[in-house]
Amino acid sequence: MGNSFRALFKKDCRMLVSGKFFLMAIGFLALYTAYVDLGYIRFMQMPPYNVYLYDPAGTQTERSPLVQTVSSMEAMDAALLSDANGVGLDASTGEVRVVLYEGAEHVDRHRADYALSLLELSASPAPEVLGTNTPEQKARKEITCEMLFFELTAVGFLGIAAVLFKEKGIGVIRVHAILPLRKDLFILSKLTVFLLSDLVFAILLTLLNVGSAEGAAVLPVVLLQTAILSLMMALVGLLCALLLKDLRQFTLAYLVIAIFAATPVFLSANTSVKFDWINWHPFYHVYMGLKNAYFGTAISPVYYAGAAGAIVLLFLAVQLAFRREIGKEG
Amino acid sequence: MKGLKYQLKSVLRDKFCLMTFLLPILAAVALNFMGSIDMSSLGELHFGVLENGLSPQTVTWLERYGPVTAYETQEELTAAINEPSTNVIGVQADGDSLRTAISGDELDIFQQAAATLPALYERRETAEQVEVQMLERPDILESLQGIFIPAVLIVAMFMGCTFNAMNIISEKEDGVAFVNEILPMTPSQYTFQKVVVGFLFGSLSSFVTACICFQMSGLHFETMLVLIVLSAFVAAMIGLFIGKLSEGLMTGVVYIKIVMLLFLAVPLVCALIGVSGPLAVICNIVPSQPAFEGIMALSAGNTKTALKDIGILAVHCIAWFALYVLLATRREKRSI
Repeated sequence: MGNSFRALFKKDCRMLVSGKFFLMAIGFLALYTAYVDLGYIRFMQMPPYNVYLYDPAGTQTERSPLVQTVSSMEAMDAALLSDANGVGLDASTGEVRVVLYEGAEHVDRHRADYALSLLELSASPAPEVLGTNTPEQKARKEITCEMLFFELTAVGFLGIAAVLFKEKGIGVIRVHAILPLRKDLFILSKLTVFLLSDLVFAILLTLLNVGSAEGAAVLPVVLLQTAILSLMMALVGLLCALLLKDLRQFTLAYLVIAIFAATPVFLSANTSVKFDWINWHPFYHVYMGLKNAYFGTAISPVYYAGAAGAIVLLFLAVQLAFRREIGKEG
Repeated sequence: MKGLKYQLKSVLRDKFCLMTFLLPILAAVALNFMGSIDMSSLGELHFGVLENGLSPQTVTWLERYGPVTAYETQEELTAAINEPSTNVIGVQADGDSLRTAISGDELDIFQQAAATLPALYERRETAEQVEVQMLERPDILESLQGIFIPAVLIVAMFMGCTFNAMNIISEKEDGVAFVNEILPMTPSQYTFQKVVVGFLFGSLSSFVTACICFQMSGLHFETMLVLIVLSAFVAAMIGLFIGKLSEGLMTGVVYIKIVMLLFLAVPLVCALIGVSGPLAVICNIVPSQPAFEGIMALSAGNTKTALKDIGILAVHCIAWFALYVLLATRREKRSI
């Protein structure tokens, strides 16, 4: 049994190499890393509101160094026009007047009061810091988690399906029906190949983008989550390959998964927009598992039990579909 | 005309093409339903307090700046502050003043807000007497939904590209492309038929999407129609290129994805960052940029910008068509 598994495993690896599966993974790894370092980290910055003060008489003596002075009302208008989130303070009439571009109601109130507070010195205590991550660390972990999820569910999934459909097309399943092998080995060797390649991808992506020390600390839990997600996606890919007629039909199913299933998950998990029904979304829990692994938050045992149950169920479904397919061919 | 009939017939049999046609329409319907989601809360401050930890007056004061959530225990509050997807600022009473707590991984803007909150609280009475002059923002997007709608519409417009590319690739895979070569049909007739199919379906899809998303007045509707027609034509031409270039379905899908990503990313990033100057002119090389800008301008009632964008799209139409004709004649010469 060991020998036949090795033979199948070798054959699957060769097929992935010839299908340029690994090449694509390396390409995407380079693309993701470049995106994080050259784009995302720089893009994800939001400095405090700029405050512009027009004070020709110099009445505001206690102002904070964060306040920028302008020489005329025209200069202030120009500054506000180019920086619509900024706040203008006009002290030319004696009384201070706040000028700002309208946005959301709550935010506007805060902007105005914040700008005014900068005119007086105050020794308010610095906020207590409860977490351990800096903004950059958080951004790196968040985007790495997103990209790993995207790679496993979307890009890798498409690769898996392409390889499997190719096998189906050239009649490998038909050959398996008459081979003197245990039928489960076909599924197991596929799962092992995809699992190993996903794990290597996760290790490289995490170490390159989160940083070696930080990345190594979270790696064990991340790898466990990656394994769960990878097994699920490989099984779903296998199921699609066995049930659907060709790659074109699959692309259709894939589009639906990618757009309608992934968008609400990303919105709910990464922003303060929360949907009431999101707990019913299976992808949400898997994504949160991965995210919690990156941020070192405890993961509930119920989730692990659910994930294990889902993998077993999917495996049984794939086994059933595979036997049916073999029966059809035989 | 007869060839066109066959083309339409083959497209209607293709489930993938029909799906690409229906997808943006479905997305538009979903967006209309999702209109109730409040995206404006994204930039707001969120406060977390302990139950009975602050006086009701202080909570009311905090609610002026953003939603306040009460947590039963200190652990729950700490977990909410540390939760990476939100920017909750923890607020506790400290004698007459306030004390704030953050996770430390927030963007600068939220860290600064937490640092200055106690000072804001101390001068809460004087702040209310100050006169505030609100200026109307010249081109503010109402909310993120305002960006989603043109994005969906762009997807719809450029569906013609997917249509054509998929259609041509499947013809290649099924061997119909070889049959076409010996049919009594000139390359220009073939091009015409393919462009018309992608163009018709692209326009139809975006027309229905636009009807669902916008309720427009007469003049705006005509301008929008011109925008749709021009971008659908450009998309159909690009689809023709993709179809010709890709060898198989897989490469075709990859090309379509790259093009779609580029078409969506360029205008969205331009709109979010507010690109101006020479970079904005360069962005117009991607045909979805003028289309997006035009739709945004139209929904803001700015017909002048929309007309300029129509001009840019017209140039695109001519340029892509000329490029195609140039390449086709060169290929013909080589084959002779």
